[in-house]
Amino acid sequence: MDMVKAKGLTYEYKRMVDTDEGTKEEKFLALKNVNIAIEKGEFVAVLGHNGSGKSTFAKHINALVKPTEGTLWIKGFDTKNDEFVWDIRQSAGMVFQNPDNQLVATVVEEDIAFGPENLGLDSKEIHNRVDSALDTVRMQEYRKNSPSKLSGGQKQRIAIAGVLAMKPDCIVLDEPTAMLDPLGRKDVIETVMRLNREEGITIVLITHYMDEAVRADRVFVIDDGDVVMEGVPKEIFCQVDKLKGYGLDVPQVTEVSNMLSKKGIDIAKDVLNVDDMVSEICRIKGIEANLSEIKRDVPLDTDALKKEAEERFDGSENFDGIQIKNLTHIYNPGTTFEKKALDDVNISIKRGEFIGIIGHTGSGKSTLIQHLNAIMTPTNGGIFLDGTDIFADKTKLKSVRQRVGLVFQYPEHQLFEMTIYKDVAFGPTNMKLPEDEIKRRVKSALETVGLSEKYYEKSPFELSGGQKRRVAIAGVLAMEPEVLVLDEPTAGLDPKGRDEILDAVKKMQEKLGITVILVSHSMEDVAKLVSRIVVMHRGRCVMTGTPREVFARVDEIEKMGLAAPQISYVFEKLNNIGISVPKDVYTTDEAADVLYKLLSEKGGEN
Amino acid sequence: MIRDITIGQFYPVDSIIHILDARIKIIATFIYIISLFIMDSFIAYGFVILALALVIKSSKVPLSFMLRGIKSIFIIILFTAFLNVFTTTEGNVIFKAGFITITSKGVYMAVLMCLRLVLLIVGSSLMTLTTTPIQLTDGIEYILRPLKKIGVPSHEIAMMMTIALRFIPILLDETDKIMKAQQARGADFDTGNIIQKAKSLVPILVPLFISAFRRADELAMAMEARCYNGAENRTRMNVMHFQSRDYKALVVVIIYTVLSFVLRYIF
Repeated sequence: MDMVKAKGLTYEYKRMVDTDEGTKEEKFLALKNVNIAIEKGEFVAVLGHNGSGKSTFAKHINALVKPTEGTLWIKGFDTKNDEFVWDIRQSAGMVFQNPDNQLVATVVEEDIAFGPENLGLDSKEIHNRVDSALDTVRMQEYRKNSPSKLSGGQKQRIAIAGVLAMKPDCIVLDEPTAMLDPLGRKDVIETVMRLNREEGITIVLITHYMDEAVRADRVFVIDDGDVVMEGVPKEIFCQVDKLKGYGLDVPQVTEVSNMLSKKGIDIAKDVLNVDDMVSEICRIKGIEANLSEIKRDVPLDTDALKKEAEERFDGSENFDGIQIKNLTHIYNPGTTFEKKALDDVNISIKRGEFIGIIGHTGSGKSTLIQHLNAIMTPTNGGIFLDGTDIFADKTKLKSVRQRVGLVFQYPEHQLFEMTIYKDVAFGPTNMKLPEDEIKRRVKSALETVGLSEKYYEKSPFELSGGQKRRVAIAGVLAMEPEVLVLDEPTAGLDPKGRDEILDAVKKMQEKLGITVILVSHSMEDVAKLVSRIVVMHRGRCVMTGTPREVFARVDEIEKMGLAAPQISYVFEKLNNIGISVPKDVYTTDEAADVLYKLLSEKGGEN
Repeated sequence: MIRDITIGQFYPVDSIIHILDARIKIIATFIYIISLFIMDSFIAYGFVILALALVIKSSKVPLSFMLRGIKSIFIIILFTAFLNVFTTTEGNVIFKAGFITITSKGVYMAVLMCLRLVLLIVGSSLMTLTTTPIQLTDGIEYILRPLKKIGVPSHEIAMMMTIALRFIPILLDETDKIMKAQQARGADFDTGNIIQKAKSLVPILVPLFISAFRRADELAMAMEARCYNGAENRTRMNVMHFQSRDYKALVVVIIYTVLSFVLRYIF
């Protein structure tokens, strides 16, 4: 019997639509005649851009939503029949995107017990299940902790344990890693893989991350409520152009192999990971591929790295740009909670530069950028804007905040006005500018982020996630800052939304000539855009340099819990095998060029 | 400031008071509060202080930690004292200047009221300091359960308390983030008159409410997905059982109650 079986599954809902004759109710199909069968024990990934209907599909599996037409069977139970609701929810558990909004209790073990308690099990059985669920997700030592003290990845593992304690046959995960950092993502995905391989639990993983989807047994692509592609990952991902058309992404190596194939190289198009790529190149070159794990036993000397990075620091007094001098920040000094978030940071950023700041969670990135516009005050050291200490004159903090614009993580969460125009005008109005100047700035800011005049009078809450975020960025941009700092601007967005934001950021940097500081977990984003990278580790600035310089030091980056772009690893492995290619390639375009030369050479020799 | 409020905080140490059943602690605190209000002599309060001191001693919670809680309500205590000193006109006049009259009765009342307030705060914070929020809500659910027949939704009240406790730190964090974000857009929360200040809260409150509703919506769905269906057929992982130490504590509470009434009628 199939674990999940959908036959003609259709879901219709009503939404309000603006027309020329006012707002009208319109019927809208979130799912159109979906036919899917998922076997017991399978690991299935569901892809699709935001609003494609994939979340609606996930909710159907848990009987949180019922089909308008057609039928969905979970383990043979028809989801339309109310009698089976509890059986369905027990056999097909669900994990949601936001780690905070799905944990109920204030103690980890109590939260895991929530499901079994609802099932009416006796106390002893609940204790057993909580115990074994904690073991499975490897969180036993945190059982008495409060969820609010855990990291995002740990919270998601608790959410998974909460579902596991109900002994489900199937777990549906709706973008479980969208809000996590790379380490958290890795933890969660490894847990999910283990559940599938070792416990035989059917997994339905809804995701935007292609590196997660490539590990599935089967992939479904949903677009506008239709299942448009279906197959094993290799079949799906080699269709790069088609996937891009659906607003999706492919792994960097897949993209490169397709570029090469288009140029006439006889390379497999279904390359999905670094090892696939390396062995394909070796096959073409006629070399035996040695794919052993690269050993990284370089010791990490942060003192030396910090010193080295500081050699590039320009501390001159009439510097044109921002200088971060000896910046130290200690949280809760003098208490047991004392924590040094920043430790003598020295960075100089020239006017007009495009800087990327990378570092894992807790490395001090967020604390650092909050000092740049005086939202936080340093324990020691200072920030100098064109040679002047921004903290020297407390009455001028407001003007500093106007000169250094700061866009926080998930900035759409601070939107509050009735219309987009008014929300963007909030900053300029606070600056007490004349009415026509406000108007000019709002218009130009919205134009820069790519929102036309027809949006001005709309409510910001009607927009899509990516659009909302662009409005929020425009709100800071309208203050016309000299420096724009963006904290994780692409977090939680789908590939299309992400590209729109990054394009807008790139455009404003080029057009307005402002300094842009981009904080990101995504090495691929950073590699594509910035001219210089700053690496933070445990409150210290340990590296500064061009992406080329930084990504060539994969060993040290890995030691800090970070990762270089996928392409860097391909070139590292090729080098280790003895193929002479430059070690510092990190973008897909460059990789395609270098590999084209390498692989077509071989043809010449023959 | 928020960190100074000790009511609602849990102080994790091992003590006889900590391991007592939450229900007995809730009942004891309730009786203790009533006893504070029925007594009105210093001798009776001496007895209360003695009893409280014994409990604090056996709870192993440092006294200084408890007194920190009083610091945050110092203004209220002061205000109570002033009110009593200046508004009581009975008793012997001990000071008179213009319209200000201070009587012995007034001073007596002021001291008594302040004492009552301090004892109230210390006593009730002792309960939360020695009981985890989870035990507390469980205890309340158990105690209210008999009232279900007359329509008191005991399970729902307890669930609401649990969720509130879970989300208070999240929403505090969120408020901080939103304030910083709006400050970065030039918002000013500190200057201006009352109306301007109230208006400046709109950019904080609107996003905060939207976020709270979004969270509520998502949490409700997550709870449903985990088969939550109210109190119906629901069991608990940790079932509350009275043990011999709890019965002993109950005897102590009964003795305290009797003595309180005796003291009330003697003095």
